[in-house]
Amino acid sequence: MEALVLQFFQWFWNLFGVWDPLWAAVQPVWPLVWVVMKIVAILVPLMLSVAYLTFWERKIIGWMQVRIGPNRVGPWGLLQPIADGMKLFFKEVLVPTGANKALFFVGPVMAIAPALAAWAVVPFFDGGALANIDAGLFYVLAMTSMGIYGVIIAGWASNSKYPFLGAMRASAQMVSYEIAMGMALVTVLMISNSLNLSDIVRAQGRGWFAEHGAGFLSWNWIPLLPMFVVYFISGVAETNRAPFDVVEGESEIVAGHMVEFSGMAFAMFFLAEYANMILVATLTSVLFLGGWLSPVGFLPDGFHWLALKISFFLFLFLWFRATFPRYRYDQIMRLGWKVFVPLTLAWIVVIGTWMVSPFNIFK
Amino acid sequence: MLENYFPVLVFILVGLAFGCAPILLGWLIAPNRPDSEKLSPFECGFEAFEDARMKFDVRFYLIAIIFILFDLEIAFLFPWAVIFKDIVASDTMRMFGFFEMMIFIGILVIGYIYAWAKGALDWE
Amino acid sequence: MDFKTALFYILSTILVVAALRVVTSRNPVHAVLFLVLAFFNASGLWLLLQAEFLAIALIVVYVGAVMVLFLFVVMMLDINLERLRQGFWGNLWLGGPIAVLMVVEMVAVLSARSFGLEAMPAPAATAGSNTRALGAAIYTEYFYPFELASVILLVALIAAVALNLRQRRDNKQLHPSEQIAVRRQDRVRIVAMPSEKE
Repeated sequence: MEALVLQFFQWFWNLFGVWDPLWAAVQPVWPLVWVVMKIVAILVPLMLSVAYLTFWERKIIGWMQVRIGPNRVGPWGLLQPIADGMKLFFKEVLVPTGANKALFFVGPVMAIAPALAAWAVVPFFDGGALANIDAGLFYVLAMTSMGIYGVIIAGWASNSKYPFLGAMRASAQMVSYEIAMGMALVTVLMISNSLNLSDIVRAQGRGWFAEHGAGFLSWNWIPLLPMFVVYFISGVAETNRAPFDVVEGESEIVAGHMVEFSGMAFAMFFLAEYANMILVATLTSVLFLGGWLSPVGFLPDGFHWLALKISFFLFLFLWFRATFPRYRYDQIMRLGWKVFVPLTLAWIVVIGTWMVSPFNIFK
Repeated sequence: MLENYFPVLVFILVGLAFGCAPILLGWLIAPNRPDSEKLSPFECGFEAFEDARMKFDVRFYLIAIIFILFDLEIAFLFPWAVIFKDIVASDTMRMFGFFEMMIFIGILVIGYIYAWAKGALDWE
Repeated sequence: MDFKTALFYILSTILVVAALRVVTSRNPVHAVLFLVLAFFNASGLWLLLQAEFLAIALIVVYVGAVMVLFLFVVMMLDINLERLRQGFWGNLWLGGPIAVLMVVEMVAVLSARSFGLEAMPAPAATAGSNTRALGAAIYTEYFYPFELASVILLVALIAAVALNLRQRRDNKQLHPSEQIAVRRQDRVRIVAMPSEKE
């Protein structure tokens, strides 16, 4: 891959006859340049997905409510997200008088940076992770736990009542569901024997069913079915999406921590929320649905399967929003602490007992 | 091992830059015509009448403390879960490795039950 | 100077500056955020020592959990800065000697032969993952301290609940489980009434 790209550059710059001096200048920092190029290759499709996820969300919810959804800008409204982005660029960035100026801008940066950095370890296909680190899953957990800072800092720095309330609600809620998420991950680790996300996917490609051409029955979602559900629902709660969106609760606290933000500062929160949604969908696919693996033996593995699985979970996100009424705050806390935590603890014990018993299938 | 973390470092830096750049750009491109009404904190049309940073229910702290304790438990569970297959595969460690974690979880469950019984997990 | 050394100096410079700002910044929220930055850089330093699990655990536990509690406390409590500042000279007679003592201890420990940086074992060049090596050590050799840790966590949990829990008097709490368990016959009574004749 790297050699191919280099060859292409050599050919391209030789058209202008400047390859040799250029390479002499670039060669010392080439590893950095190569990594940045790979990061851009992840971020650009990610940002396009975010843009079209917002469009798709409006379309789907429109259809579910027997409306048409956006259809004015471009063919079938397809240019709508581009227009929205351009519009946000030209909007004034307001800083409220009482706000803490520096922290007011640290908030959105702290929201988007971890949401993007977590993508460093996600494997897109076999061997297709930017950073193939051994503690990959733990790193993802660390990055998602950083996301809370953007919300708290934004809410506090605005020095306004609704953002403050939103930040309080958000922090207690995100903190509660992180426990359930972490515990659900423990069971995944128990049966996959590795923290490396690529290894976790490969471990799902082994087993009796996978050898007999029905790979999807070997994936983690069957033995870990309750954890699969807990993980995804916690992911929905962690990203503050409906029906857990009391943080933004338009009808109660307007938009929570984002009330005072405008223009690109607001756009950062928006991007972070959708990037996190895609991240949760991706991780659920990687951890429980076999990532890039093909569900049946006669079709080849590859990135297209991961994309398909991610789209399915993203559709669930949107479907939830169209279907469920918003949870009350005490109900959210109850679900996190009194349903999910005991369930995950119990399942750790169940999987542990299963694995030390003679009926162990995870060899 | 460390060279695997180089992309992570670069990605974190790119992420920070990605957060800062559009805000700066927006600042430069967008109009900037502030007035005192526009910059006042949003309060559904009322005048803001006191500082927004108020004292909060102690319950939020309690949730945060319980969260720290469970987070620590997860930090202990992770290394155990990663080697659990090896524990099961070895003959000598099998039951020892299993029961030591069950004792660990059991002790924490006592605390969890206590918190539940006292109503610390209720939101009122 | 190779890249690793350069990175070490960058991270430790930021760490020292951030740590200084923790104690010098006027706004307690800024102080906590500088502490977050300090932890982040410390985690980078641990990573340079090849302790990947511990480095990430530092972020998960300290940045992701402990600092959130700190932020809660300094944001939500009305801290009167002026009053805090008044205590500075009054407490200096106690704080000063303690600080000096800590510096002396650190110097003694770090320069001693047994703890000197030269005597530190080089990170074991294990082929396998760091987390596994750690797991294998904790759950065999250090079994007893590990179980003790759970007891400490239990004590902390009970103490936190016992100290913090206050039942509010104006409690209008609803129990979702009771609400879910409600059946029609709890709420509705159907009575047969003969229709009245006109």
